[in-house]
Amino acid sequence: MAIKRLLTLAHRSRQHNVTSTVRCLSTSPAVATSPPPPAPSPPPPTAMVYDRLAESVKSKLRQLENPDPRFLKHCSPHPVLVDHTKILSAPQTRVTTLPNGLRVATESNLSAHTATVGVWIDAGSRFETEETNGTAHFLEHMIFKGTARRSARDLEEEIENMGGHLNAYTSREQTTYYAKVMDKDVPRALDILADILQNSSFNENRINRERDVILREMEEVIAAAGAVKHEDIVEQVKKLFTKLSADPTTASQLVAKEPAIFTGSEVRMIDDDMPLAQFAIAFNGASWTDPDSIALMVMQAMLGSWNKNAGGGKHMGSELAQRVGINEIAESMMAFNTNYKDTGLFGVYAIAKPDCVDDLAYAIMYEISKLSYRVSEADVTRARNQLKSSLLLHIDGTSPVAEDIGRQLLTYGRRIPFAELFARIDAVDASTVKRVANRFIFDRDVAIAAMGPIQTLPEYNWFRRRTYWLRY
Amino acid sequence: MVMSSISKWIVDPRKNWFARMHMKSLSNRLRKYGLRYDDLYDPMYDLDIKEALARLPREIVDARNQRLKRAMDLSMKHQYLPEDLQAMQTPFRSYLQEMLALVERERAEREALGALPLYQRSIP
Repeated sequence: MAIKRLLTLAHRSRQHNVTSTVRCLSTSPAVATSPPPPAPSPPPPTAMVYDRLAESVKSKLRQLENPDPRFLKHCSPHPVLVDHTKILSAPQTRVTTLPNGLRVATESNLSAHTATVGVWIDAGSRFETEETNGTAHFLEHMIFKGTARRSARDLEEEIENMGGHLNAYTSREQTTYYAKVMDKDVPRALDILADILQNSSFNENRINRERDVILREMEEVIAAAGAVKHEDIVEQVKKLFTKLSADPTTASQLVAKEPAIFTGSEVRMIDDDMPLAQFAIAFNGASWTDPDSIALMVMQAMLGSWNKNAGGGKHMGSELAQRVGINEIAESMMAFNTNYKDTGLFGVYAIAKPDCVDDLAYAIMYEISKLSYRVSEADVTRARNQLKSSLLLHIDGTSPVAEDIGRQLLTYGRRIPFAELFARIDAVDASTVKRVANRFIFDRDVAIAAMGPIQTLPEYNWFRRRTYWLRY
Repeated sequence: MVMSSISKWIVDPRKNWFARMHMKSLSNRLRKYGLRYDDLYDPMYDLDIKEALARLPREIVDARNQRLKRAMDLSMKHQYLPEDLQAMQTPFRSYLQEMLALVERERAEREALGALPLYQRSIP
């Protein structure tokens, strides 16, 4: 039944086709001789969008064959040593030692319209005992609370009316009080500094206890930089700074009495609620006056620093930074080198996510122990150039200059001219780095401090074992 | 210098009959599946190819993937591309060779400078 229906349907449609073609043939004879469709051929390279894009990519790559020589004139990926002694003839630092032991140092630049003048004192939180804990910082605050001649308000108003800055800071081994003023106000700034340092009015017994801590006349330096003349400063200081403490103990004696002893140890504070793990690995370093301190600065530049905002990214010069950037094992990493009077610290501090802390520890210890074995001259040259430029770039303005003078006079006893400093840096080559690394890193105890989600940070013996290699 | 000119002559289809025959047979085989020569480069075989493909525009890589899918489909069905489409194929139109050469040049330069490589194979 259904089949019959299908058959009739097919028959009807066939008849319909035949009649329709007959009709077509009868009405339009010209259509029968239509031209055959053209043979298919490959499309031209501009037909499809991906071919057009491929052509543009190829033409851009062809442009790379002949680079513009203007861009290559001053760039070279190979580090080169350049002699800078011609431009390092900075104004000379003049130092005068007064009869009461006070040293006055100035770097005079009379074309500047401002000056920084300050007092650098060789005292800090390192020399505090149990009873005097916190004194240095406390004193730094109290000293701005008024003197015999000026109340706190008078002090503030005088400084503000001059348009100057009066500031202080304390660190482990140094205390500083300095003022930044216009050139014509330098005598008044010196007067204010002398006043607050010698005539501060707070409780009498506090004065005796705390002045003994900080105002030791032998190790004080008055440094000034900018629009100052050396002779004028010396004259004024002689007149103003007369009531300094006569306590002959120097910082060196205090240090000799209680030297700082480095102990291999670790402190870990596991806290899973923190999102990032932070840890620092430190070796016993060099003191300020150690001849190897410059080599340690170069080694710090060789290890370098890295963070996710660094423009260099995966392409930085330091191999540790490359490992960290390419494998993405840290949020940020920096090598530090701190110097104190009798000792120092040299190491690496890093912040990382908890899952890559162990890879980061491996990379850090690999690079640190590599310094004792495989050091390339190009790497040392790059580190030297980076150290020199970072030292000079930091000295911008009268305040950094004054701080540099004060710090160097307290730590080295003299201001090292930049030409000599650069010569000392250039004396560090690959063999020096290996020798210094053998002294400070090879098979030496480390101190580790860590906090955060540090479960996967390896234990102390793991780090201690990786301070040397057995492969050589 | 002589060796380099001889090797250039050997592989040139315009000079060497054997090179011409090789190119014709390659072209026929690629046409049958609708592929280009550059589609045969495997990014899982060499990480340089992966990096070069990552640098190309999205449309080129999409077209490459579509060609590969069409060829895989034809191969699964044991069929070839229709004759008219086969006549329209361009098997030797290249999109990858220059970029691949650039990537390899950059890697060689980086290694010559003594820096760590940006990517490395890890044996699975």
